[in-house]
Parts: sequence; C-alpha cells; structure tokens
Amino acid sequence: MNKKLLALALPLLAAVAVIAQPTVGERAYEISLPDVKGAIQKLSDHKGKVVLIDFWASWCGPCRKANPALSAIYTKYKDKGFEIFGVSIDDEKKAWRKAIQADGISWKQVNGQGGWEAPVALAWKLEQIPASYLIDQQGRVIAIDPTKEDIENHLKNLLK
Amino acid sequence: MKKILMIAVAVCSTLFATAQFKTGTLQAAGLTCAMCTKAINETLKELPFVQTVKADIKNSQFVIQFKDGANVDPDALKKAVEDAGFSIAKLKLAANFENVKVDNDSHVKIAGKTYHFLDTRSQLLNGEKTITFVDKNFVLVKDFKKYAAKTEMACVQTGKAETCCTKEGAKENARIYHVTI
Repeated sequence: MNKKLLALALPLLAAVAVIAQPTVGERAYEISLPDVKGAIQKLSDHKGKVVLIDFWASWCGPCRKANPALSAIYTKYKDKGFEIFGVSIDDEKKAWRKAIQADGISWKQVNGQGGWEAPVALAWKLEQIPASYLIDQQGRVIAIDPTKEDIENHLKNLLK
Repeated sequence: MKKILMIAVAVCSTLFATAQFKTGTLQAAGLTCAMCTKAINETLKELPFVQTVKADIKNSQFVIQFKDGANVDPDALKKAVEDAGFSIAKLKLAANFENVKVDNDSHVKIAGKTYHFLDTRSQLLNGEKTITFVDKNFVLVKDFKKYAAKTEMACVQTGKAETCCTKEGAKENARIYHVTI
C-alpha cells in the first residue's frame, strides 16, 4: 500500500521540483541559450568545472555594479577549473552586447530574451536579479547568491 | 419609444461627466532597483481591474493595461506597490473623458470618485487625457510638497474630505484624489 502511494507521489514530486528554484544540493537545471554570436551554449558543457550561474540584465544597476568583482575572481581562477555562465534576461540584444563590452565581460554569456517571462526565467523561478548559483563539478548547487568571499572559499576547497 | 430612449441616453451622457481609465504608467521607488524584482509585476497583476503589466525598461516604469469597463482603484494600485516593498514615485492614468469640466483648485466628481485638480487651467475634458496623481504617497515627497502648497484646502494633506469640502456636498472622510493635468 505504502509503495503504491509512493509510486503515485513520486511523479507528482518530480513535477513540483521542476517548477521551483533549485536548492542547495540539487542538480542545476540545464540552460541552453544563444551567445553573442548566436551559437547555442549549454550549461552542461562545463561539467567538471565549478560554475557560477549569474542571472542579470543590462538595465539592472546592482548587477552591473557586481561585474568588476566577478571579473577579478574570474581572472584569478579561470585557468584552475572555474567558469562563469552569465544569463541575461535582456529583451534588447543590442543593450546586452553593449553592456558586455562596457563592463569588459570575458566569461560565457548567453541571452534569455523575454525578461521575467523568458523561458529560462520561468524555469528557474527567477524572482529578482542579480541572482546567482554556484555549482560544483557534478552540476550540483552548492551556494545561492554567494558573496565574492563565499565564492573564493568554495573555489579554494574545490579546486585543489 | 426607441427614439425617446436614444434621446434620453444622449441627454444623460451630456449631463453626467464620465471617464473610463484605459492605461496607466507607474514608477516605483525603494531602497533597491524596482525593475530588478518581479514582485511589483506580480502584486499589480493580482488586482481584479488589471489586464496586463509590462516593464518599460527605458523609462524605468510599469505600463498597466486596465480591463475594459473595470472600476480602476488608484488606492489599490498604491497598496500593491507597497505590498511589494516599494512606494509610488509617479502614477499617471489615461482615461477617455466625456464632458468633464475641471477648474483649478476645485473638486470634480468623475465616475463616482471625487478628484481635486491642482495646478490646472479651466478646461473641458473630452477624449483621451492623462491625469497625474499628486496625493501623498503617490509622488516623491518633494513633489507632494510642491503641489500641496497650491491649495489652502486641508483635504490635500489627508486625501479625505475635510470641513472645507463638506460644504460642497462631499461626505466627511470621503476619499478625494488629488491630481493635475
């Protein structure tokens, strides 16, 4: 009887899990979106690296302000197995490209056009930006909205 | 009979000033970036008279489309923004007016609500016009002070009918919206 109930409940739970924000310990949802050149970039292509998923937009002041600090961490750890996967929800690709140039962003950048209604924003249940997720080499979430100190501490532990 | 009805309708529509709100633009202020959260979008969308809410990034404002014939409630818009953790910095509503006569620093009853026009020249409103709300907590504090200085009537401070207004027939404590055009 219990097993039957469980069998019924499991698919339901799985359906619920897909529409919630991933929590620490859970596997990050796949992201597959075009980069500046229009080539599809997948989050899963970076398996084996520690990845910071950074949701932002060109019009988001606080997001832009955080870019210099991200740049510093990126420069320090990019050759040691760290990647940043920037996901913009800009509607205007031109504004997005301009912001990438202005902020000197050299990490992976993809665009999920459509603002809060963009499929990627809905899938990740994005409520605000900036929002970031640090995921380990296996693609599991290890920190949500980490500070730059948090990121460095995790990197020091994971990239020995 | 039909003719009489048509005449009656025509007479009524000239006698009663009406306005149907169609769209609104709203700017929000707060400690964090108002456009960077989905919260305002969501609380506005939950209002029964709101059809759609779109973010106009370039002008840092929300564009609201109201449902046809719905009873638009500016106080409910304010509460929705406050529930999201922000306050209104600017609210403009566009309406279709029919024979609405407005004068400076005086009250006008439009579609069941009382409006107090400030910094406004006397005019007859017809067609689509946009009014800007200047009540306390519908504008930035400095703008509120600027408009509040334009009237001697006490209702501007409370947004409610005070003794000054009751002699015009407004019920005491009835909501009075302060606007400009």
